[in-house]
Amino acid sequence: MSKSDLIIIIPVFNEATVIRKVIGELINEGFSEIVIIDDGSSDNLQEIISDLPATYIRHKINLGQGAALQTGIEYCKATTAEIVVTFDADGQHCAESIHDLIQPILQGHADVTLGSRFLSETSKELPVSRLILIQVARLVNFLLFGYLFSDAHNGLRAFNRKAIDLINITENRMAHASEFPAQIRQNKLRVSEVPVKIKYDQYSKKKGQSGLDSVRVFFDLVLHKFFK
Amino acid sequence: MSGIQILLFTLILFIGIYFLVRLKQRLYDIILLSSMVLLAITLVLFPAITNSVAKWLNVGRGADLIFYLSILTFWYLSLKLYVRVRRLERLFTEIVRNDALKEVHKLGTNPQLRDEEQPGKI
Repeated sequence: MSKSDLIIIIPVFNEATVIRKVIGELINEGFSEIVIIDDGSSDNLQEIISDLPATYIRHKINLGQGAALQTGIEYCKATTAEIVVTFDADGQHCAESIHDLIQPILQGHADVTLGSRFLSETSKELPVSRLILIQVARLVNFLLFGYLFSDAHNGLRAFNRKAIDLINITENRMAHASEFPAQIRQNKLRVSEVPVKIKYDQYSKKKGQSGLDSVRVFFDLVLHKFFK
Repeated sequence: MSGIQILLFTLILFIGIYFLVRLKQRLYDIILLSSMVLLAITLVLFPAITNSVAKWLNVGRGADLIFYLSILTFWYLSLKLYVRVRRLERLFTEIVRNDALKEVHKLGTNPQLRDEEQPGKI
């Protein structure tokens, strides 16, 4: 597989302070195809990253992370990419985790791999409030969609070509995190969880979802399940 | 006619006329709206009717019956609006996405990472 066969999608909304570092880390890990989906940021993102070797796509208005990811997926569908990785812009993911993440796909054991912080040592650093939210999200996902993965809301995922052609995310906001596993199940894709390291610095903790966001996600999920 | 009857009567007429003017040529909506306005006016002028219907349905008072029906109507309308909002959301997501994909920019090929942007310093 050549370097251009792997595309990394990063949905970005007002992450000017960390985005250059995130892209820099990916470049230094040897990843050359980075696609930035600017979800209507107001911080002049294109100018900030104009010297970096990335593909830049901009939503004219803010639609939400799910919509930005799907735009990235649509872009990848039109390319010859063999593997697509989704990566968070807030600096909590480690670029080196991608090498482990894509292994099951390269070996032909999985169509999709999901990063899981709970299979690695870093889960001990997780704030208690976040831990409770993730466990509740797992339970809701199990009750609504019938799957139980160890990490309900981890943005680090990898898809092979087959999965990319089949996935179509319709949840514009954070409820997309539950839609990915639901579509994996629906399309009978082979999935495997891979331990990944998550960095919990002050910035990423601040950017994380609050309890109130989770209530909104819950209502989005329930209502969208019954009103497609 | 009591004070509340005058108030309700005026409001119903106002709402009825407002929507009739806006709907113009949509016959089905006009018939539905006119029937609802007539029903509302009848019930305001002859509230005893609601009591008889409530009694027939084993509900204590006519006012309670109207209250229950209002909740159901409100619920139905909220869900109907939700479905419509969701449909609109999908539509404009598609428009924004198609528009975005028409303008794909390939940025610089010469990264000039500053010291603090090197790996391990995030």
